[in-house]
Amino acid sequence: MKIAAVEAWIAAPLQRYVDEARARLALLLHPSGQAIAQAGFTRRMDVMTACALAAASHATSSELGKYVDGKPFRGLHYAGPEKQLYLATIETRAGTYICLTVFDDESSLGLVRMYFDDLVRELTTAAPVAPETPAPALTADFEAELNKNLAMLFGRGEVIITNA
Amino acid sequence: MTSPFTSVLDLLTRQRGVRASLIVSERDGVIVDSSLRVGVDGDRIAALAASLYRKARLSAQAAQLGAVSFLQLDAERGRICAVGGGGDLVIVVVTDPQANVGLIRMELLKAFESVA
Repeated sequence: MKIAAVEAWIAAPLQRYVDEARARLALLLHPSGQAIAQAGFTRRMDVMTACALAAASHATSSELGKYVDGKPFRGLHYAGPEKQLYLATIETRAGTYICLTVFDDESSLGLVRMYFDDLVRELTTAAPVAPETPAPALTADFEAELNKNLAMLFGRGEVIITNA
Repeated sequence: MTSPFTSVLDLLTRQRGVRASLIVSERDGVIVDSSLRVGVDGDRIAALAASLYRKARLSAQAAQLGAVSFLQLDAERGRICAVGGGGDLVIVVVTDPQANVGLIRMELLKAFESVA
C-alpha cells in the first residue's frame, strides 16, 4: 500500500506500520483535522471526511476521558461486523498527531496496538524539533503602553481605552 | 485481581520451564488473563500467538485436516505452545527450550478442557 505524506519523515515509519499491521486504511492527522499522511484512500474527499470525523471523535473521546478518568483516553477501538478501527494519539517533538487505522480479519486489535507502539517509537525518534513559537504580536502590557502613548500624544492626562 | 482463569494459569505457570501462560482472544489478539514472569511482554506474545494460531487453524481447515488441537513453535531460545477449540479463547504457554513439552502439552489440554 502506497503512502502519501505531507512531511517526509513520516512516510517510512507509517509504511512499515501499515505493512506489518496489515491495515486496510491509515490516516495521520493533526488534532485540528488537517491530514498529514494517508494510506489506502483512493479519493481526496474520503480523506477529508475521515479527517473531520476522526478529529471530532478524538476530541469527544478525549473530553470523555477527562470526565471519567481525569485524563484523555489513549486509544479508541470500534469493532464493526467486518471492519474495525483504532484511533490513538502520537506525541512527538513536532507536535501531537492522531492516527486512524482501519483493519479487518487479516489483522487483529492486538497486532494493530503492538505495531502502533512501534510506530509511536519510530515517529518520536524521527520527528524534527518543533519550530519555536514566535513572540506574541501584542505584548501583555500593550493596553497600558497604548494609553500612555496616547496621553503623551494628546498632551493630557491618561486616556483609558477598554474593551467594550 | 483474580479471574475465573487464575487457578488454571497458576497451574500452568508452576510447570518447570514455563515463562508465561496466557489466555488470549483469537479474534482480537488481546490478553483475557495471564500469568507472566517479570520482563515478559504479554501484549506482544498475545498478539503474535493469536495471529499464529489463527493462521494455523485456517491452514488446517483449507487443507481439510480438521481442527487444530495443539500448536508448537520451537525457536532458538524457547517454545510457544497453544491450544484452542471452536470458541475464541486460546491458551498460550511460553517455555524455556529445555522444558518438558509432553508434560506441558498434557497440562495445556487439561487446562483447555476446564476453560472451554
